[in-house]
Amino acid sequence: MESLLSLPWFDFTISGVVIGSIYALMAVGLALIFGVANLINFAHGSVFTVGSYIGWTCAVALGLPLWATVLVVAAAGGIVGALIELLAIRPLNHQSRIAPLLATIGVGLILDQIVHIIFGANPRALPVSLPNLRFSIGSGTIGAIDITIFVTGVISALALYLFLFHSKLGMAVRATAQDGDAARQMGVGINAINMTVFGIAGALGAIAGLLVGIYYNSIDPNASFEIMLKGMVAIVIGGMSNVPGAIGGGLILGLIESYGIALFGASYRDLFAFAVLLLMLLLRPNGLFARAHAREAEPMTGTFVTRAKPVRIPAWALVAGAVLIALVPALGQPYLTQVMTNALLYALAAMSLTLVAGTLGLISIGHAALLAVGAYASALLTMAGLPVALGLVLAAAITAVLGAALTYPAFRLRGHYVAIGTLAIGEIVALVILNWTSLTHGSMGLYGIPPLELFGIPLFSTNASYWFVLALVIVFALLQMRLLSSHLGRTWRAIREDTIAAETYGVASNYYKGLAFGFAGFVAGISGAVSAHQFSYINYDTFNLLTSVLILTIVILGGLGNVTGAIVAAIIVAGLPEVFRTLAEYRMLFYGMALLLLIRFRPQGLMGSD
Amino acid sequence: MTGKPLLVLDRINSFYGPVQVHFDLSLTVPEKAIVCLLGGNASGKSTTMKTILGLKTPQSGHVLLEGRDITGAPTAEIVRAGISVVPEARRLFGEMTVRENLLMGAYVRADKAAIAEDYDRVLELFPRLRERLRQKAGTMSGGEQQMVAMARALMGRPKLICMDEPTMGLSPLFVDRVLELIATVNKTGVSVLMVEQNASMALRIADYGYVLQSGRIALEGPARDLLADPRIRTAYLGETIE
Ligand SMILES: Nc1ncnc2c1ncn2[C@@H]1O[C@H](COP(=O)(O)OP(=O)(O)O)[C@@H](O)[C@H]1O
Ligand SMILES: [Mg+2]
Repeated sequence: MESLLSLPWFDFTISGVVIGSIYALMAVGLALIFGVANLINFAHGSVFTVGSYIGWTCAVALGLPLWATVLVVAAAGGIVGALIELLAIRPLNHQSRIAPLLATIGVGLILDQIVHIIFGANPRALPVSLPNLRFSIGSGTIGAIDITIFVTGVISALALYLFLFHSKLGMAVRATAQDGDAARQMGVGINAINMTVFGIAGALGAIAGLLVGIYYNSIDPNASFEIMLKGMVAIVIGGMSNVPGAIGGGLILGLIESYGIALFGASYRDLFAFAVLLLMLLLRPNGLFARAHAREAEPMTGTFVTRAKPVRIPAWALVAGAVLIALVPALGQPYLTQVMTNALLYALAAMSLTLVAGTLGLISIGHAALLAVGAYASALLTMAGLPVALGLVLAAAITAVLGAALTYPAFRLRGHYVAIGTLAIGEIVALVILNWTSLTHGSMGLYGIPPLELFGIPLFSTNASYWFVLALVIVFALLQMRLLSSHLGRTWRAIREDTIAAETYGVASNYYKGLAFGFAGFVAGISGAVSAHQFSYINYDTFNLLTSVLILTIVILGGLGNVTGAIVAAIIVAGLPEVFRTLAEYRMLFYGMALLLLIRFRPQGLMGSD
Repeated sequence: MTGKPLLVLDRINSFYGPVQVHFDLSLTVPEKAIVCLLGGNASGKSTTMKTILGLKTPQSGHVLLEGRDITGAPTAEIVRAGISVVPEARRLFGEMTVRENLLMGAYVRADKAAIAEDYDRVLELFPRLRERLRQKAGTMSGGEQQMVAMARALMGRPKLICMDEPTMGLSPLFVDRVLELIATVNKTGVSVLMVEQNASMALRIADYGYVLQSGRIALEGPARDLLADPRIRTAYLGETIE
């Protein structure tokens, strides 16, 4: 007790408020966009990163004073935000509502890649000279940086308040957030409002990027995703479209993190955020500040595209295709065979996701977590001496059970909340892997994972492992197609179309969702496990958000729910960039563009959805 | 029918996906008149409103305002040209004050002085609202909300107000009151196109009426004649008119 009390609580409170006000700046933009466009802007973190680099350019490269830097950063962020609306969101006006969410994921990847191309992949310092002031209050101190950040946050909030409550455009923004249809009937141009809101969010997000850079004297081109998640947690606390709530949520999150770090150490920082997120989604999905009669967020089914009839491929063509693919090693190009092995492992993962996202309609953005569970399970079991064959099967079974159990909390969520929930679950898995050092060796990762072999027969030659993976793909594809045409498949689709109606007919939807995640977990677990034996080294970051996005892109390209489509698309998306070296170098750009163009021009996928 | 035509719908055919909602729908709202569009549930009344406001573009046919073709024009332009709306279920901005709701009604206008003038005029017409200007619209009673919705529509300085089921969900006492208000608004020179399920109530204040059945005009005529028409009853029991 003594030692707890002697911690510098005042300093922790100050840093909590400072970081919290940065989260609040991020969250306000997300809340405005969610209110007006009913959309979670996954590109918001990338705008933050762009802001930090524009800040570096102004403050360090050009030597502008701080006030001018802030203004330039805000203006540039505003322009980037408005352009995102104009180029990526507006064209999707007539598509279902999860489409723009996926588009923002694509935009985020593209922006991140652009920053990488211009500024390189390493963090850099952002020194800004501030008066060397420190005020001592009791045992704690407040520095000029703390004050600068807090004051900038307050000024931004004031400016936003003036805009929203004392300008005509601001009034229209509020009206649109409350009732978009009614606002439209008053003659409010929704496009203009959307663009305004994206612009404001961009400006605030970019300022947040600059401030974080100043605070830590470091900017990082890979920070986008994490900060976006923090903003998202803040709006979940605050009640999604509630702007003052977002500010409160940001401050609360900042304080929780700061106190949590004080008590448990810094490596758990992100875990607090996601734990809070999950708790909120489960217990108070309308936010802490929701009034009793608050309008329930409109349900959104997982279906996000106009479904197109799946392309029926005759059986002989499927067999011919499989034979052709099986003959790839005959080309005598080991590199190509390796690339194809990798693509087929993605095909397994995509088959798994297409079942959940397509057939069942739960768009998951955390699917890489299942691969990670399978990979770690099989690696650890076989490193402890189990034969690889047994390791693979056990790993798949463990992933099946964990997959259903871990996503269980997300079963009652719908639409956007599924996306957020699965994302959070995925991140929590990664963080547990990172922090459970005694089991996983933490950030060191696992070395020396035994190579593939079955019952003493080595499979680690390039060709053997290729055929092994291909055999897995074929077996599970046949099994999945069989399931889809069975009663089970029809039940899954019924749940997707209308969960509530299905339940009124006596379908225990959670049970069927569990079955789907179990099967999907098994297949994804196998994919991850085989990858682990292939790579012989894995760490917490081997299967990350980019992996999840890639799998999702494959699934959309193939056509939601379409098994053959998932395989063909995996070969295109995971195979192509490796064959063309330049594509591999700009991988995020390629994936981002692919996702964006797909959703825009062929949302039903190559092979149609079912 | 008397009076110069203000709004004309000319042989409108519209669809939701493959489903046709309007079949050669034609109707006319003369200047300074109250026209009533009657129809049961799902007969296409609200879609008519959406079509007039440019929120839904018909596959064929035209919407003419004072002879000018406004079919599928941007809503802002149509509102500016003189059509305001009292949406189905009122759709006030519940978290905003009454004053802000009224100002939203004038959103497309830039003439500040004239807006201020209309604001005063509207409050004279609805004195009850004057005491409630700072109250959140969502906290008012149904009848008061209907007043706000009408006042908001008037703030656009319209030539025509389209009202989608203005008496829906109101107590009988308030229905009379709202119909009175509609007549009052009309006396200021504004035409009204009123969509209603409640035939006898609406026809009492209307000049002319149309009966919409499954997207077709099944019956039309001066309100007085329709009121006396036994087939009106039939229409409301959902039976087909011979
Ligand atoms: N947005 C929409 N999408 C598809 N169908 C619609 C939509 N809006 C209305 N409908 C259908 O069009 C028909 C007419 O609807 P509506 O114009 O709202 O009727 P009313 O206002 O007379 O009740 C109904 O069958 C309704 O189900
Ligand atoms: Mg209606």
